[in-house]
Amino acid sequence: MNGILNWILWMPIIGMIAVLVTPKAKENVIRMVALASTAVTLILSVILYLNFDSSTADMQFVVKIPWIEHFHINYFLGIDGITMLMTFLNALLFFICTLSSWTVDKSVKAYFALLLMLQSTVFGVFFALDFFLFYVYWEVMLIPMFFLIGIWGGENREYAAVKFFLYTFFGSIFMLVGIVALYYATGKGPDSFNILAHQGGHFVNEVVRVFGFEISFEKLFFWFMFLGFAIKVPVFPFHTWLPHAHVQAPTAVSVILAGVLLKMGTYGFLRIAFPIFPSAAVEYSTLIAVLGLISVIYGAFCAMAQDDVKKLIAYSSVSHMGFVMLGISAMTTQGVNGAVLQMFNHGTSTAMMFLLIGIIYERSHHRWIVKPDGSLGYGGLSTKLPKFTTVFIIGMFASMGLPGLSGFISEALIFLGIYQKFTTITVIAVIGLLLGAAYLLWMFKRMFFGPVNPECENYTDLNAREIFYMVPLCICVILFGIYPSPLLNVMKASVGQLVELLAKF
Amino acid sequence: MIQQLFGFLSYYIPEVMCVVLMTTLLVAEAAVKDEHGKRTKIYTYALVVLGLTLIPLFQNLGKAPAHIFFNAVTIDTFSTLIKIIMVMGAMGSIILSFSSKDIYSNLKSEFAILAVGVLIGGMLLASANNFITLYVGIETLSILSYVMATLKRDESTSAEAGLKYILYGGLTAGIALFGMSHIYGALGTVQFTEIYDKVADLEGTKLWIVIVSSVFFFGGLAYKVSAFPFHMWSPDVYQGAPIPVTTFFSIVPKLAGLTALVRVSMVFFNNNEALTNSWVALLLVVAGMTMTVGNVTAIGQNSVKRMLAFSSIGHVGLMILGVAVLNEAGFRALIFYSIVYMFMTLCTFYITSHLNDMYGTDNYDVFRGLIYKHPVMALVMVGTLLSLAGIPPFSGFVAKFSIFNIVIEKKYYGIAVVAAVNAVISVYYYLRLAKVIIFGKADGAEAVTGFGRLNQGVIVAFFIPVLFLGIFWEKIFTLAGSALIFIR
Repeated sequence: MNGILNWILWMPIIGMIAVLVTPKAKENVIRMVALASTAVTLILSVILYLNFDSSTADMQFVVKIPWIEHFHINYFLGIDGITMLMTFLNALLFFICTLSSWTVDKSVKAYFALLLMLQSTVFGVFFALDFFLFYVYWEVMLIPMFFLIGIWGGENREYAAVKFFLYTFFGSIFMLVGIVALYYATGKGPDSFNILAHQGGHFVNEVVRVFGFEISFEKLFFWFMFLGFAIKVPVFPFHTWLPHAHVQAPTAVSVILAGVLLKMGTYGFLRIAFPIFPSAAVEYSTLIAVLGLISVIYGAFCAMAQDDVKKLIAYSSVSHMGFVMLGISAMTTQGVNGAVLQMFNHGTSTAMMFLLIGIIYERSHHRWIVKPDGSLGYGGLSTKLPKFTTVFIIGMFASMGLPGLSGFISEALIFLGIYQKFTTITVIAVIGLLLGAAYLLWMFKRMFFGPVNPECENYTDLNAREIFYMVPLCICVILFGIYPSPLLNVMKASVGQLVELLAKF
Repeated sequence: MIQQLFGFLSYYIPEVMCVVLMTTLLVAEAAVKDEHGKRTKIYTYALVVLGLTLIPLFQNLGKAPAHIFFNAVTIDTFSTLIKIIMVMGAMGSIILSFSSKDIYSNLKSEFAILAVGVLIGGMLLASANNFITLYVGIETLSILSYVMATLKRDESTSAEAGLKYILYGGLTAGIALFGMSHIYGALGTVQFTEIYDKVADLEGTKLWIVIVSSVFFFGGLAYKVSAFPFHMWSPDVYQGAPIPVTTFFSIVPKLAGLTALVRVSMVFFNNNEALTNSWVALLLVVAGMTMTVGNVTAIGQNSVKRMLAFSSIGHVGLMILGVAVLNEAGFRALIFYSIVYMFMTLCTFYITSHLNDMYGTDNYDVFRGLIYKHPVMALVMVGTLLSLAGIPPFSGFVAKFSIFNIVIEKKYYGIAVVAAVNAVISVYYYLRLAKVIIFGKADGAEAVTGFGRLNQGVIVAFFIPVLFLGIFWEKIFTLAGSALIFIR
């Protein structure tokens, strides 16, 4: 079982090579090859889940091969409970996205090759336990994203692609400075790039001088790391790239972006920023919570103001990721459990929303709730497209946090967690839930109820392929809404260890 | 005495080979009549001999470092490694000049001759061990460079480039000489070995004289590496000169200048605290300003050559950081950076050159939609641009990482942040070109001609190290790590 992480990590690359050697004209073969590759990855990740030992917080399925011995850089992979969930989510979403991308007909070969490359790099970020390797994957991920948004995106795609790239790069270059500083702070030893060895607050008393000022090492580099991850999440005020990237990206890429890439930011907090700089994290937890709160409220208000349904969901992601930030800033067991669960649940529910918007876009070729001239873009969809409406309702209620669906459990846990720490913030954050219900229901009313818009007369309902890839997500959303323990059990030990560590500071 | 000289010569085979090559080329150029056949023969001859010089150079890597010609010249692993890079860079630009239309066909052999001449100057500068050799090296390098800049003599831009180059060069050489003579006055010697001992217990007025004159002296070297505030010539010269010359300029003279800078820094400023502090402060400020000026100015450019010129100023800023840390790790990182930078420069200039030949301009527009016209070259170009921007898995990232590494080891966090911000700026303008290549709509669907099979092969051959040094960089890093500066 030890090599299974290698297989999961490199399977998409094998698929990518297979796609690249397939002749350009055989588009369906290319699609099948990509689908097969993602299916194998999904099966492998299920096998991984079945073999996962949830009783321990240690890293499992560890692979460690020296890469650059001069700097003690290793090809070092391993997963714990938190990454187990993210692995499964990543494998599932890419499988679904491959299916949903069946209708892409512009440079099919390049599209699927880049999509598979993206999948591998995302796995790399989640698996890497070596800081250098982590950084390499974190950056390489920008290359396929840049091209996917820039080539297959909407009208304003070039701007969005460059903005996405620059924003992320800005954050991560500071992270690089932090990584190298950690390398020297730990004395260039064999564990100097080992993320796990850094954890535990070894840098509390170190001091650095910047432009002549003495600053605590821990605080300075906590903020460097914070910048890298906060841009990725994105936390207010670093969220401005997200609406552009989401609106311009093709459907599958939006799904991946909201579904897994944003989680890399919060994952970075959980795996790197908090455990390595615990005392700074504890000291600034109120500030982080406030930023999370602003994301929740501000994101929700922004969502309410949107006329473009994709932009609305994009801003709702800012709001929902704000809840995750609230959960992890609480640093309590419930809070962090809720945050990790919310990472998974937001992944599935937002993926549903973006996929459904992609489906309706293929029929209408616009995404206006209210067109710029003031008329409604849709209307009465519920009578014309019953299957579509059913799935949409499930996805919408899940992201709204309705009891019985997955979003509720995670948000409830987050509120339980933060109430113990920040009472006022909890009270204000609840307004975010209310606003969430408001913008989603308002959007729903304008799109699905009312008289049937003549433009929507000849829309076709979901076809078999679309139903096939929506079903697993519906199952996830409903099942984990009623019975979340398979997810909670997996991450319990890892989250417990993190909370215990933070409690010491 | 004679025996001793022959002993010295065993270290000096590469330089001697280059001198022989240059003189025979001169004679051959004048003596042989047939125009086209001659050119091919002269090129083959020049490339073969330059390739052969790599053999004694690699042999020198294994030898113990030594001062030869009575302390005039040092042969150590550091200078030898830089010479290897310079020879390879010169070979690359000579190959480029063969197919480039930017150089008049009756001047092509002249380009090869001048390039070898500049290379000789560069080699001399790289291993100079006293002020006289250093100055002779700078001048050999410069005077031939002025001629190279004006090779496109029918065009006013090229003439302007040459004139600018010569005016700036003359001025800075004068300033540098002024500084050198004061250092000689204060210390009573021009030998680096003796200077190293003498600066150790320097104090009072003499210390101040040396500090001030070292700033003057720095001007001469800063001009060669085009560091702020002596960088103004370089964009005009880069744009005005033919592309093979630009390629050559951004590799050989630049590396030669950096090597001299490293040696001087290690000799003068590593043995006296007051001197070290003032020098490091100067270098850090210069590095920060060089990066910022280069990168910020590169944003607004519409000519690719000019953009690359400014971006190379940005890269020099990073390389100067490798000098500023004043330790072995620093110049090892510098060597790795130089290797990577050479390959990246060759790749970008090759492709730009061929597009320039086809469309007659190096504007961003000629790159528009290259991915549809010539996918392989477009991908190579985008890969190289990403590498220049320092994105993994390309080698430019490792180079950037190694510079960050040494800077942070010295705990210069402030300059590390400046470098980080600069990295972001540089990503912006590299992406601007990448965007044009990949996302732009091609005006016509016609494939780009001019990328012959041979040229494509050469370009891909240069691209392979750009890609692979980003993943399997341990071997080359260890090689760079063997570099030592021999002072005494």
